[in-house]
Amino acid sequence: MHIFILRRLLQLIPVLFGVTLVAFLIIQLVPGDVAQVMAGEAASEAQLEQMRENLGLNDPLVVQYGRFLGDLIMFDLGESVRTGQPVMDIIAPRFIITVELALWGMVVAVSVGLFFGILSATYRNTIRDYGTMTLAVVGLSMPNFWLGLLLIYWFSIQLGVLPTSGWGTWQQVIMPAITMGTAGAAVIARMTRSSMLEVIDQDYVRTARAKGVSERFVVYKHAFRNALIPVVTVIGLQFGYFLSGAVLTENVFAINGLGRLVVDAISQRDFPVVQGAVIVLAITFVFVNFLVDIAYRVLNKRIDLN
Amino acid sequence: MTTPLFEAKNLQKYFPVKGGILNRTQAQVKAVDDVSFAINPGETLSIVGESGCGKSTTGRAILRLDDPTDGEILFEGQNLMELSKSDLRQKRKEMQIIFQDPYASLNPRQKVKQILDEAMAIQGVVPKAKRPERIRELMEVVGLRPEQAERYPFQFSGGQRQRIGIARALSVDPKLIVCDEAVSALDVSTQAQVLNLLKKLQKDLDLTYLFISHDLGVVRHISDRVIVMYLGKIVEIADKRDLFDSPRHPYTRALLSAIPIPDPSKTRERIVLQGDVPSPMNPPSGCRFHTRCPFATDICKAEEPELRSTTFMNETHKAACHHIEKIAETEKTSIV
Amino acid sequence: MASNEQTPVLEVKGLQTSFFTPDGEVKAVDGVDFSVNSNETLGIVGESGSGKSITSLSVMRLIQHPGKIVGGTIELSGEDLLKKSKQQFAKYRGNRLSMIFQEPMTSLNPVFTVGSQIAEAVRIHKKLDKKAAWQEAVNMLKLVGIPAPEDRAKRYPHELSGGMRQRVMIAIALSCDPELLIADEPTTALDVTIQAQILELIKELQEKSGMAVLMITHDLGVIAETADKVVVMYAGEVVEQADVKTLFKRPLHPYTQGLMNAIPRHDIDLDELEMIPGTVPTPQNMPSGCRFAERCPYARDLCVEKHPELATPSNNVDEGITTGQTRCWIYTDEWDGPNPTKGVATNQ
Repeated sequence: MHIFILRRLLQLIPVLFGVTLVAFLIIQLVPGDVAQVMAGEAASEAQLEQMRENLGLNDPLVVQYGRFLGDLIMFDLGESVRTGQPVMDIIAPRFIITVELALWGMVVAVSVGLFFGILSATYRNTIRDYGTMTLAVVGLSMPNFWLGLLLIYWFSIQLGVLPTSGWGTWQQVIMPAITMGTAGAAVIARMTRSSMLEVIDQDYVRTARAKGVSERFVVYKHAFRNALIPVVTVIGLQFGYFLSGAVLTENVFAINGLGRLVVDAISQRDFPVVQGAVIVLAITFVFVNFLVDIAYRVLNKRIDLN
Repeated sequence: MTTPLFEAKNLQKYFPVKGGILNRTQAQVKAVDDVSFAINPGETLSIVGESGCGKSTTGRAILRLDDPTDGEILFEGQNLMELSKSDLRQKRKEMQIIFQDPYASLNPRQKVKQILDEAMAIQGVVPKAKRPERIRELMEVVGLRPEQAERYPFQFSGGQRQRIGIARALSVDPKLIVCDEAVSALDVSTQAQVLNLLKKLQKDLDLTYLFISHDLGVVRHISDRVIVMYLGKIVEIADKRDLFDSPRHPYTRALLSAIPIPDPSKTRERIVLQGDVPSPMNPPSGCRFHTRCPFATDICKAEEPELRSTTFMNETHKAACHHIEKIAETEKTSIV
Repeated sequence: MASNEQTPVLEVKGLQTSFFTPDGEVKAVDGVDFSVNSNETLGIVGESGSGKSITSLSVMRLIQHPGKIVGGTIELSGEDLLKKSKQQFAKYRGNRLSMIFQEPMTSLNPVFTVGSQIAEAVRIHKKLDKKAAWQEAVNMLKLVGIPAPEDRAKRYPHELSGGMRQRVMIAIALSCDPELLIADEPTTALDVTIQAQILELIKELQEKSGMAVLMITHDLGVIAETADKVVVMYAGEVVEQADVKTLFKRPLHPYTQGLMNAIPRHDIDLDELEMIPGTVPTPQNMPSGCRFAERCPYARDLCVEKHPELATPSNNVDEGITTGQTRCWIYTDEWDGPNPTKGVATNQ
């Protein structure tokens, strides 16, 4: 197991290189003169030169990348060209909010998804199964900003029980978490159902029944533990989508998360902030996948860990 | 002496086992380890053994479906190891294989006639205009109705699918057919049909078979000569009659005694081997069978026995055991 | 037979199990009767599609949707199992009757240790605490001949060989000392040398506990070596029933005869294997007469028209020869003329 983790960690190195390289190239790939784009049409030549110097754009690319990496290792993502604040300081609080939002979304997605997935599988081809799976298709097809707006309309405007915006209190968490988690719940429910159906006909499930294990334990202990293995992968992927897809939910509920920060930074052409956000998100994504991989191996005893 | 149609010399097939932090090759599974044999034209040579003994790997290696690690494979005197990919493809029409589960190797979206047509097209043996006629002929040869060629594989029973597999192999007029557990998945009554068909085809078309099976009953029925493998090595090779009537290697003897006989009135002494087959990754030293052998002595642990014959054995009969004489001796006394 | 006096451990009467598919009802088992006494092994032999596995699963009430037991009784020491509620029956399953399956590779749950899988059965039925159940699991592993049982109990199934896994399955099945063990093709997936070990083990454990064994197999060799009585099934029905010696000495039904002559033997040379032409009829086109008629070399109009009953022969059997029961017109008074199977020698 240790060897497996170590090997996976080593494999992360080239991935992280790739990620940082892409993020680094964002600035390089902006069409035209980056300094010009960032400073705006009205900037003088002297201002532009100053900006190039600040961004280190006059050095060869390799040198720039090297410096970029060096700074990154020290958690230095540069400064915002708008406010001059360190990018790290701008991103950190917003990132925490987005992670919170994504985690609450996951709570909804996983609990609702697993519950309905198992329900559907144990009552396969009955009205409960069809009902659940129809709901899942609806949940999957509904754009989440639309769902968010519907929730605001019902709970905030009609019933007046939940606040329309903001982040922090538990009332403020409920609607964004549902908005965020619904599509994920649908995906997880469908995956759980098909995975359960595959497992429920396995020989070892029959063995469990033959031992006299009650049907409830057959489903939740013997079948579910095995069905979970592929579902874990899907859950991990969902978390990644949640992080990167948070921007819509954040906008609907006016939550100051990383997504909104990025949108604002793009419109203000504050590329160091965009770059920093991309790197933070990408590294989180890679790390989550790493954890999923390990969880997968722990659950799946059949894979030789070495 | 006849020139063999096929010969394997010192055939080896190792599979690397990867591991460690850098995923390097850490060990080798010696699935086939220094195996030599020859197949004469028109005969059926069988390879028997239990799972993991290397019999199927041998079958695949000699067709270069998996490239052997080392050794020579000679077909009509030509070393297949030296052939380029395209030359090898040409040669493949001479050597076909039939698998245990024909369904897995038949494209479910193709009608039987398309499957057969494709096989002929790839080898370019039959001109396109003549193929429909040939397909009809092949269907009849394997005991199916020509109009059944319009059906898809799933519309056939297991035994019929195996007939399709045979028809496909025959479509290119091969000389050698490797049958890899070809009847193992079939019920007894269908198995008998397919075995009889294989025998008949051999007579009619002058085919040579390498028959790989774990079922010694089937092997006795179909073979002229038999090879017994254990952990990647040949432990005994003999004409059928010699092998079944006077097996010399203790493993062969145990294997034969382990098979239940469908006759409750026959009682016999069974040699029940203890334990499981050791891992081929780390095979026992000396004779690989010594860990389970009731006759093993120190020499068996230290020295690997050669395949050999002795005075009381036919010269075509060879066993890889240090104690052939001693075991024959104890047998005599126990019978008396 | 003295055993006629005792109540059989298992008595199955008129068992019917059907599958309700979109194409209609498929009668997989259609009126099967048999019984097994304690310390006795009943072999059920047949090819795929004969209904032998469905029969054994029916006894365990393990038939899953869309299958259903639609008729008959299954009595365990006189109690009708089909009358029990699900909860009541769960107390019997794995306790008073238990089962081992064909595929030891897939029959154990890959995510739990083998020890915990044995202990689970013990905990359910013997109400032992965790520690005592684990100890019992280790004892069971020892009983089924697994070396270093303390260590093996902590292993996962994939770490054990096929033979070892089947021993674990036997340990689970026997952990609560059942009256009846159903073994459904227990050695089909194993190598012959391992098969010999497993069959030996089952016999040994039966001698110790006196349990009844139902041995389901396609292999007449296994039947000959393990069974006391034999039931031959074909297309969902019993076509012949006899004690093992009688069956092999004088198989009555043309199907049984054909089966025996179709087996390639390693101990004798056969010129040509007898073939049973054709295939088993599909449940959708089940013949209304004798189900074997279309493959039978002796079939007459009578066979095609009327469905025979399983009965003791009243015709065409030599005086003084013991026979079992068979489902064939040849051995009834309605058959006009001599026994056409008479000259047919089996390989015995």
